[in-house]
Amino acid sequence: MIFIIDDNKIMALCIEKATGRPVKIFTNAIEAMDAITAGTTPDLIFLDILLDGPDGFTFLNELVSYSDTAKIPIVIVSSLNFEGKYLTNYGVVGVLNKDTMLPKDIKRYAEEYAGH
Amino acid sequence: MESEVDGILVAAHELKAPLTVLRQLALSFDEMDSTNERIRSEMVNVSDRAIKQVNDLIKIRRLEDGLFEMEPVAVRAVCDDVTRELNHLFIFNKRDLFIKYSNRSKLVTANKDLLHSIIYNFLLNAMHYSGENTRAELIVKESNDKVRVVIRDYGPALPMDVWREIKRGWINKPTSIAMRPGSSGLGLYIASKFSRFMHAEVGAIRHRDGTSFFVNLPISRQASLFK
Repeated sequence: MIFIIDDNKIMALCIEKATGRPVKIFTNAIEAMDAITAGTTPDLIFLDILLDGPDGFTFLNELVSYSDTAKIPIVIVSSLNFEGKYLTNYGVVGVLNKDTMLPKDIKRYAEEYAGH
Repeated sequence: MESEVDGILVAAHELKAPLTVLRQLALSFDEMDSTNERIRSEMVNVSDRAIKQVNDLIKIRRLEDGLFEMEPVAVRAVCDDVTRELNHLFIFNKRDLFIKYSNRSKLVTANKDLLHSIIYNFLLNAMHYSGENTRAELIVKESNDKVRVVIRDYGPALPMDVWREIKRGWINKPTSIAMRPGSSGLGLYIASKFSRFMHAEVGAIRHRDGTSFFVNLPISRQASLFK
């Protein structure tokens, strides 16, 4: 299962289509954390950073603080320009820039981390 | 002035989200026939250009935060990147692009990202204001301790007041250029801001049959030590 956390539903649907896999879409970090707490551990999370309520960095901090969620692979999908190498300790396996990303970039991560 | 720039920054951020969504929507369509594929491709290209301009506006604010480092930059490589990006647009609009590099020194002191934006904005303007089946020119040459990048169009001549403002040194704010219909002067404003930050000089030459915009960039002395 793939989680997509993005407060823009249309962008989330575009990401869903590109993955070609079953996903759960959340428009804020709290709902996503609640779903994980309730027992759904995703294989991969596509995470926006600027969200309504707690932002993506807060969500990353929350995930890494629990042993059962610390290793969930995260792909950051954001218009902010930053390098993911500084976030590998938070489970970040990639960064996609919304300004330039292509559907094949999304699909590549889905195939690598959420099976074929 | 600062609150004006902050207002531009807020507007830029607000515009960016729907533009990135539009771009992604266009990319999400399944395989199409060649006509629709061309339309889809143009939707993506138009979105890309709009996102680029919005990002330039955001960069203006970030200049003050000192986030752009100056370094030796290969000016021809930057020109090549820009022309590669805009080539399809020239073809689509039936304009030719003439390119001539005659500079010996390859490296200038600049910020690659900002220089890319300056040349991109000038070349986009040149494409826009050159008539169908005419050409725009991108010329890189050297004089004394500077490399000059010139972008020449064959459109309406630049109005005297705008030319004076450019000659004075820099553009205070985007100003509509009356003799160039559809121009908001935004590209010139962005180029002026970025060049000022890089201690480069932006200028314009009026021709009877068009305008040349140029940016003078200092040759990198750091790199010349290794010659």
